[in-house]
Amino acid sequence: MKLTERQTDALAELINIAFARTGAALSELTGHRVVLNAPEVAIYRTEELRGALAKFVPGDVASIHQVFAGPIAGDALLLLNYAGAVHLTDLLTDEDQPSAFLDESAREVLTEVGNILLNACLGMFGNLLNVRVTFSVPRLHLETLDELIESTTFNKPDMRFALVVYTAFQIRDSSVKGFLVIVLSVASLDRLIQEVDAWEARQGDGDAMD
Amino acid sequence: MTETSTKETLLNAAVLRWMHDIAAQGIVTTDSELNVVEWNAWMEEHTGKRATDVIGKNLIELFPELIERRLDRHYNWALEGQVRVLSQALHGYLIAMPVVSGGHGYAEMQQAVRISPLTGDGSVIGTLTVIEDVTERVAREGELQAQIEARTRLLASEKLARSEAERANRLKDDFLATISHELRNPLNAIMGWAHMLRLGKLNEANVERAVETIYRNAKSQTQLVADLLDVSRIISGKLRLDVRTVDMIYIVNAAIDSIRPAADAKGILLQTMLDPAAGPISGDADRLQQVVWNLLTNAVKFTPKNGKIKVKVQRIDSHVEVVVSDSGVGISKEFLPYVFDRFRQADASTTRIHGGLGLGLSIVRQLVDLHGGNISVQSEGEGKGATFTITLPFVGVVSNHQEAESVEPAQGDEFVSFDGLPSLVGLKVLVVDDEIDTRELISEVLKECGSEVVLSASAAEALDALEQHRPDILISDLGMPDEDGYSLISKIRSLPPERGGQIPAAALTAYARAEDRMRVLRSGFQFHLPKPVDSAELVTVVASLAGRAYKA
Repeated sequence: MKLTERQTDALAELINIAFARTGAALSELTGHRVVLNAPEVAIYRTEELRGALAKFVPGDVASIHQVFAGPIAGDALLLLNYAGAVHLTDLLTDEDQPSAFLDESAREVLTEVGNILLNACLGMFGNLLNVRVTFSVPRLHLETLDELIESTTFNKPDMRFALVVYTAFQIRDSSVKGFLVIVLSVASLDRLIQEVDAWEARQGDGDAMD
Repeated sequence: MTETSTKETLLNAAVLRWMHDIAAQGIVTTDSELNVVEWNAWMEEHTGKRATDVIGKNLIELFPELIERRLDRHYNWALEGQVRVLSQALHGYLIAMPVVSGGHGYAEMQQAVRISPLTGDGSVIGTLTVIEDVTERVAREGELQAQIEARTRLLASEKLARSEAERANRLKDDFLATISHELRNPLNAIMGWAHMLRLGKLNEANVERAVETIYRNAKSQTQLVADLLDVSRIISGKLRLDVRTVDMIYIVNAAIDSIRPAADAKGILLQTMLDPAAGPISGDADRLQQVVWNLLTNAVKFTPKNGKIKVKVQRIDSHVEVVVSDSGVGISKEFLPYVFDRFRQADASTTRIHGGLGLGLSIVRQLVDLHGGNISVQSEGEGKGATFTITLPFVGVVSNHQEAESVEPAQGDEFVSFDGLPSLVGLKVLVVDDEIDTRELISEVLKECGSEVVLSASAAEALDALEQHRPDILISDLGMPDEDGYSLISKIRSLPPERGGQIPAAALTAYARAEDRMRVLRSGFQFHLPKPVDSAELVTVVASLAGRAYKA
């Protein structure tokens, strides 16, 4: 499945709204201005996912993973490379000395950040679709990209597509790159794209009225 | 079916009991209005609030600080169906509770919290909050972090220590370089004049001058060897000057003599303009000679064949100015500010290019500084020669007492001509040394000045001689077989005055370290004479000891 340019733009804009909320929430939480770069959005077949992400995450991946269920269902993940994950938690917790690894406290911080971001995006989808989705407790995983993709797609034949959102956290003059990956069933993606089209059409009307 | 559902009911009841009574986390459930439904034993224990006191009450009203800390929103989000994570690092805690143990400076129990929606029939019917005490874990992590930082600091300090050691090593290298430089200077004159003597082409006046120059430089070199430790003081800036009234003209002449062979060999014209009115200054004659030497040596080295070196000594106001200018290679503008800079010289590339302007000039500046003087350098640039100007404070009082340095010893029968030195007539000196050469040299010098001399080859002999000859002064070597000088002096000092117990005494030693001098003085000697013995110094010491009975 391929998105049209208009659909991509509309999806990016919707996610950008969710990111603005996430940025505001993180800023408030940490006392630093946190901005998420305007997202770049693409849809991949799950078997293409490895190739699409491999360049960004050569080593271990830190992922915050939340399963969501309801009228649309799937897996939502925030992916950071290991060094990026360490750097991000250092920035958020005002750690001046660069840490060498993710201790338990850092893992919790990452989990909370992923939780905020994933909730904002999925909440936005829920509002858009006017459906209620339920979430699993977020989990942080440290594994290789292969292991991650394997565990996300294994034995889930209907999970065919992945919405990949690329962004970067801007905090205290530093930038940490990250991917938001939402793995969806065909039905869920169809439904999402329909709603995105409808939303985009409404926005277009609004624009025309200006 | 009934059996199964009964079992299930029993199990569910058991799970709820477990959550209430046994769970090691705080568990709070609310309904969709956030009224407390369950408050487990852990919560009772840690908040001090009984379940009966909180159940049915609104959680946010029970803990209004949740609003202040903007944590109530998480409950609203939970009611929207979201699971919320509250990390300790970002929030500290959800509900304030006292620290149980291992707080390590935390006032409140540190908590990791999960707030989840509870759903039924497709809608959210309540919330479940699980609170975990992570205080100890966080404290341990902090300690671990501190350990890592300590290790990092240790590594850094080891690195520092290593670089310190390297620096010390470099200083040692500098020290050795300085020593060899210092030793080579007088050697140049000795070699040069000795070479000319061997050729046998010098006239009588020049032979005399050659021998004199060789003698003076050999003497200087002896001094340098004895003063090796003083050289280290040059490096550490702790040089002690032997300040007397000295005649700069004499010093400059002496330095010129020492480099004349080298200058002659290169066909360099040495022009001197020495103003006799330049007068005496206050300073260390050896060190000042070293200064002028260094400048002249550099000038000769950097002046091409048939070049010209001008040496001028003049009095300007309250200063004596020594100017050494040459028509040599000059100094580039870039390098000019670093000419006297020791560390700059240590730089490999500059050393290669400006090799001869090495340590000598930094020593020169330090010595001039120590004399309260000033040294400056001018050069129009490379190939245009260089001019070094030293200004030294002038001393108004002209001393008619001639310096030890100005003693000009000759050879053979004219061994000593101690003009201006005190007479030792009427004094009886006991000289103790196991080496016959030293004994005889000292004896010769003292006799020349009119003193009577008694010689002893050992401490035992000396004690006999003391009784027998009643000498006025004792000069004793320290290092002797059987019984050393320290033992001798302590025996003498234990004698009553009428048997010579208070005889003024000077020690001879090859070692001139400060602690040696201290030991010498503590053991009962009043003076310390370093070997090899300088005739003038010996006579001066003996004269000053005369009539100075030892007082313990």
